[in-house]
Parts: sequence; C-alpha cells; structure tokens
Amino acid sequence: MPREAEPSLNEKQFVIQALQSNLRLDGRKFDQYRPLEVSFGEQYGVVEVKLGKTRILAKASAEVTVPYVDRPLDGIFTIATELSPMASPAFEVNRPTETEVLLSRLLEKTVRRSGALDTESLCLVAGQKCWHVRVDVHILSHDGDLIDAACFATVASLRHFRKPDTSIENGVLTVYTPAEREPVPLGWLHSPFCVTWSFYGDEGEIAVLDATWLEEAVRVGSCTISLNRHGEICQIAKLGGTPVEALSLLQCTSIALVRVKEFSALLDKKLAEDAKRRDRGGLLAELSAENDR
Amino acid sequence: METERPFVLPGDSIDPSLIPVPRQQDAQTQNSKKQAVLRLGPGLRHMAATGAIVPTVPGQLVVDGRKRSMWVESKGGRYVASVGDVVIGQVQRSAGGDLFYVNLSPYTSNAILPHLAFEGASKKTRPQLAPGALVYARVSLANRHMDPELECVSPATGKADGLGPLVGGTVFDVSLGLARRLLMARSREEGQVAVLDFLGDEGLAFETAIGRNGKVWVRSDSIKTMIAVGRALQKTDEDDLSVDDQRKMVKWLIKSMR
Repeated sequence: MPREAEPSLNEKQFVIQALQSNLRLDGRKFDQYRPLEVSFGEQYGVVEVKLGKTRILAKASAEVTVPYVDRPLDGIFTIATELSPMASPAFEVNRPTETEVLLSRLLEKTVRRSGALDTESLCLVAGQKCWHVRVDVHILSHDGDLIDAACFATVASLRHFRKPDTSIENGVLTVYTPAEREPVPLGWLHSPFCVTWSFYGDEGEIAVLDATWLEEAVRVGSCTISLNRHGEICQIAKLGGTPVEALSLLQCTSIALVRVKEFSALLDKKLAEDAKRRDRGGLLAELSAENDR
Repeated sequence: METERPFVLPGDSIDPSLIPVPRQQDAQTQNSKKQAVLRLGPGLRHMAATGAIVPTVPGQLVVDGRKRSMWVESKGGRYVASVGDVVIGQVQRSAGGDLFYVNLSPYTSNAILPHLAFEGASKKTRPQLAPGALVYARVSLANRHMDPELECVSPATGKADGLGPLVGGTVFDVSLGLARRLLMARSREEGQVAVLDFLGDEGLAFETAIGRNGKVWVRSDSIKTMIAVGRALQKTDEDDLSVDDQRKMVKWLIKSMR
C-alpha cells in the first residue's frame, strides 16, 4: 500500500503565507464553500454530491429483518462508509484508516445519534419484524472536506429515499411493490449538517471553511460542528490539535448556522425539483380515468 | 507536414491514407534511408500479427510526413520517466549517505538522485536537502523495470544549467499534456499555450520552472501573483482554452484579483 502523498515544504509554506495575507489558492473567502452540486439518481435514495473536486455517492436501501432483542420496538439504521482505493491509492479496502474511522464516527453522531431518522416508525411487528435502513457512502474522489460532503450526501439520500409500503392483516405482513402501492418516505425529524472549520496559525487564529486536500494537510487543528437549521447543535468534535479561543469558536458556530441554513435551503430546492421531475406520469397518472381526446 | 489531426480512440483502425509513405525520390537516394523507416511515437502500437497500427490512448493523431513519424497527442495519465526530461521532484529522504530518494509523482516508486549529481558537489561538500524539498532535475537513466535516476548537473560541462534545488515559491499540478506544451520551444505556435506570456504582459513579475512530470514551480515576491499564475494554469488545463480564450481568461483573472 503506498503512503498518502504529502505536499512539499514549499507548498506548505506557501499555503500558510497565503492564508496569513487573507488569500486562498482558489480565490475563495475564508468562510465560503466550493460550489456544491447535488444530483439524484433514477432510483430512490441514490444521490451524488460534488464539492469542488470532492465527489461522494450515497445510496440508501431498506430490507426487512428481526429487530435487536434489547430494542424490540425500534427499527435498525446503519451508515456504512467506504474510502475506496479509487479516491486515493493510500486507502485500502477492509483496512480503515484514521480518516475513515473519524468520518464514520462523525456521521454516526450527527445523523444517527441526533435522532434525525425516527427509528420507531421502522418497526413492523414488535420484536419480530422491522425495517433495516442502510446508507452506503462511497467516496469517489478526495479533495478535502469529506465530512461535510459525506454528511450532506447521507442526509440527502435518506430524505430522497422511499421504502416500500406495507400492511398487516390478521398477523400477515405484506410488502407491496412500487407498482402496487407508491413507496413511502422515511419518518424524518430534522436535517443535521456538518460544518468543518480548519485552523491555522500558532494559536489557531485563522479559521477556514471547506479546506481542500492541500489546506487540510497543513492545518493545525479542525473542528466539526453539526447542527440543523433551527440552530440545534447535535455535536461538536474538536479532536486534538492546537487549542482555539472559546470566543472564536462561538463565532465559528454562528457562521456555521448561516451555512447550514443555506445547505438546508439547497437540499429542499433540489428535492422539490426532483419530485417535480418524477411526478410526470407515475402511478397517479396511470390510475386516472381521464382519456386524452 | 502535419495537416488535420483526427481524433482516435484506443483500438480504432487508422485510415491507411494517413500513414505517410516514402516519396519515390527518397526511397531511391541512399542518404534518406533513415527517413524511409516509419517511426511510431507515444500512444501507437504496431500489431505484429496483422501489421496494423493501432492507437492505445484516446487523443489526436498527429502525422509528420517529413519525418515519417506519427503519434497520438493525449492529455496525460501518469508520468513515465524518459531520458532527457526535465522534471520537478520532491525529496523523500536521504539514503545510504550518498543519494536522495525523490518522488516524481505521488504513489509511485521513487527516483534516485545521487548526492554527487549537483554542481560543485564533492564528497566533502554535499547538498543538504530536507525531506519535502523540491529539486529541478534531468532524468539521466530510465529503464522500464528500474527506478529512474536523476541529475542536477550537466555531465559534459559540470554546470547546473538552471537545475538544482528550488527554494521558496510553490508548485502547481498540471496535466502532462500541458506540461509538454509549455516546454515546447515555440509553445505559442506549436503548443497553443501562451498563458504565461499573457500574465507577464499584464505586468506580473514571476519566475517559473516547468517539470515534464506535470508540475509547474512558480516564485514571485507577491503571493497574489503566484496564486494568479497557478489559477491561470489550472484553468487553461481544465477547460482546454485556446490562445484567445487564454488571453481573455488572464484579463478576467487579473481584474477579479484586484
């Protein structure tokens, strides 16, 4: 397995000098994201997110299983992240790097532990049958800020996903195909997003949003804040690195809220566009008794 | 003379009328025997079984009738060292007390740069290069199954000729195709790239070193200038800009950076 590439001394020095004179290599402002592109697939729950050159594919799926013994009334919800060698030869399948462990842990904390998905609504027959919702996050290309992009992709795929409709009659569970009954969306409570700040300078006085791969390689610390558009913070992860002033962290959080509101609006808009695109024809049109004359 | 450049895909069959044939008078004269041999450049392969010439990479097929050579002009891929190329490498570490391991492209095996392959270097005065430092070097040895060897000095004259450690500045990654075009003696006419000239015309002062392995080193007193050069190069590369578009893009970039 080749080692992860490291930027040269010249590049490291240059990035720091540029940041100290208020410049970024791609001409962005410090609190500006790269253009975020979202596209949905033909199937429900497939979404591709591009953040500059970072590219992530997320797919949600559901199957019927037996619930955990200690939680008979809850469904199961898992997030599987994979950094494939396609993103960088330094990533190997089945041997998680630190990046991958941190990524899956942060997604877990942001989306699962914050109760974004109502797992109780996934229960079909108490203690016997429940839905297992699974999101697979594939990193296709890595140019920094994986966490924010992966979190956006996870939330987008879950909100786009539709699970098959079910009914229970006389203790018999029926799962309907999409042709029989329109699939139903998941019970969704709130949409948390991650915003990652990278810190530079001796005391972490320079804070930058959406760092690229090169910028990530020279940062002295980072802080990931997860919150929803109502300003409810799900988690703050500041894992090691240079200590940062509490006051500047507060400022980071308030800017993060602005960004999250933008994310939320963008996702709502894209979901509405996709719903409109799908609405043409469909089961409703098929069932209508009107004839074209 | 090259005329039009048809686009070919790997495995395509090449129109036989494009393959240059030796002219009648050339074939008869003795001294042009060398020119009668068809020379295949990168991206083409001669299939021994059928005798056909097949492209192995997508790109534009270039035919030079005068030199009786043809090759496929493609944007890049991974750098494979060949003798005589000037490259920008990143020092990994010093090993064995007499050589540096130098990386030419990420995730590939290292090239070797002997300590004595610098101008004025002797056993007592060795160059000191920290891991991560950049060097501008020439490939002196390249075999398919061996690590390439580099040198920062001309073996004939013992002079550096501009090669050696690159101090300060920064390095930008570009495609191999653009690096090759930038290195052409007449890059504006042949390579259709004049972005660095336009940046200079706008009054920016900077110096560059171009590595055939897709790296461009830029140094300037002003950080803004270095960023402008890097962005202009990467924009030219990603959007495949023509010379006119390059001029417009540089104008726009300078205006937006102010």
